[in-house]
Amino acid sequence: MTNSHQPILYDKLIRLTHVYLGPAADRFISRQIQNHLNKEPRDLTREDLLQLIDWIRVTVSLLTDDNEVVEEYIAQVRNLAMAQDEGN
Amino acid sequence: MAKRTSEVLSSEKRAEANAIFNSIGDGAIATDEFGRITRVNPVALKLLQYTESELLGEWFPKIVVAMELNGKVLNLIDRPITRAFLTGQPVAAKLFYRRKDGQPLPVSINVSPILLNGKPLGAIELFRDITVEEEIDRMKSEFISLASHQLRTPLSAIKTYSHMLVDGYMGKITPTQKKALHTIISATNRMNELISTLLNITRIESGSIAATPKVLKVDRVVEEVLKELALMAADKSIATSLKVSGKGSTSIKTDNLILKEILTNLISNGIKYTPEGGRIDVTVKPRLADVLISITDTGWGIPKDVQNQIFSKFFRAHNIVRRETTGTGLGLYLVRGLIDILGGRIWFKSAEQAGTTFTFVLPRNKVFDETKESKAGLGAIKG
Repeated sequence: MTNSHQPILYDKLIRLTHVYLGPAADRFISRQIQNHLNKEPRDLTREDLLQLIDWIRVTVSLLTDDNEVVEEYIAQVRNLAMAQDEGN
Repeated sequence: MAKRTSEVLSSEKRAEANAIFNSIGDGAIATDEFGRITRVNPVALKLLQYTESELLGEWFPKIVVAMELNGKVLNLIDRPITRAFLTGQPVAAKLFYRRKDGQPLPVSINVSPILLNGKPLGAIELFRDITVEEEIDRMKSEFISLASHQLRTPLSAIKTYSHMLVDGYMGKITPTQKKALHTIISATNRMNELISTLLNITRIESGSIAATPKVLKVDRVVEEVLKELALMAADKSIATSLKVSGKGSTSIKTDNLILKEILTNLISNGIKYTPEGGRIDVTVKPRLADVLISITDTGWGIPKDVQNQIFSKFFRAHNIVRRETTGTGLGLYLVRGLIDILGGRIWFKSAEQAGTTFTFVLPRNKVFDETKESKAGLGAIKG
């Protein structure tokens, strides 16, 4: 069960993505969740995120030609998806 | 022996695939999962004026710069290829590519993600030169603009003198004459609205509408528009409501006039296409980075088979044409163009005989301000 005081996975993902994309993060992530998973962004689960990683990777690769930055970002997204600690 | 045969077959298959790719009549560019160009056909090379070695292996968004119709470099997140990955669907668009000599080339694009077992491997983009179509379109827009301006002058005279006649400035008139004059005034009003729509569309298409953003409260603007349309709604006994849902400020930095035009079109459409005694409910929902506005009607709805055409120019749904003969099919086309200018997006849900909800979001700050303070400046990279 999600604790109302704990940030949900979507919020964590936005916070992480914000570092790389700035305020475009919300639009970037919510559109991928809505289009590829057909669900509301806030309902994102860790399994969903694992499914989404390939799409996030190809899309972010069109926003920068710096592969290191892409890999660094994707590694952090993967860590977020694999983490077992909290949230949904 | 078997291995050799399979190698020959595989090399023949590759040669065949290459021949097919090179024979495509439009420009064709394929990219890998990192956006680097893996294939380019002779038509693309000719259109962009590059050699094959200059393009292969290059990062597509950087070497082939995309610009909007008004000449502004397209934000990378808005490029068709990025949108194709964001949605997982083919994307069609018209824009300009910058050729090697720096000149803009107007192109019509179709781009699709390449999938293998559902996994994205890259993208394939087809594009064609639309210089001639653009020129014809520009001439058509110029003509509409000129004709519209010329039509306005005599219309003003008709309207002014009709009002003077109705108000008795030119002597007493009979009730029948008064009724006829009201019909003339109402017809000139409709004509004026049509001219305004046509002029706005030509301005959008020529990229000459510039937004003047200022901080405003979205719910206040909705209130103003609902007030202006109150008579129209009352004529059909249609109830209207406004609700601000959730917490947070409804303030955004956007263009007041453009927002009013969008709301006026969507709400008046709702009234027009809702039977007597129905409802129009407007909801304003503040979110973190944007404000979401929904207009729900209890109208006739949009048939499923034409829902993908609803934002096209001059399109009118068949169930509506039967009931309302006066529409132009330009309203939603205009609305989408105006929302684009404000950096927002629009979508809808509709069911026949149940009603329609149009929803649009407007960013709190315009899109081109989105890129500040990002670590890698990803959103800031232009083309």
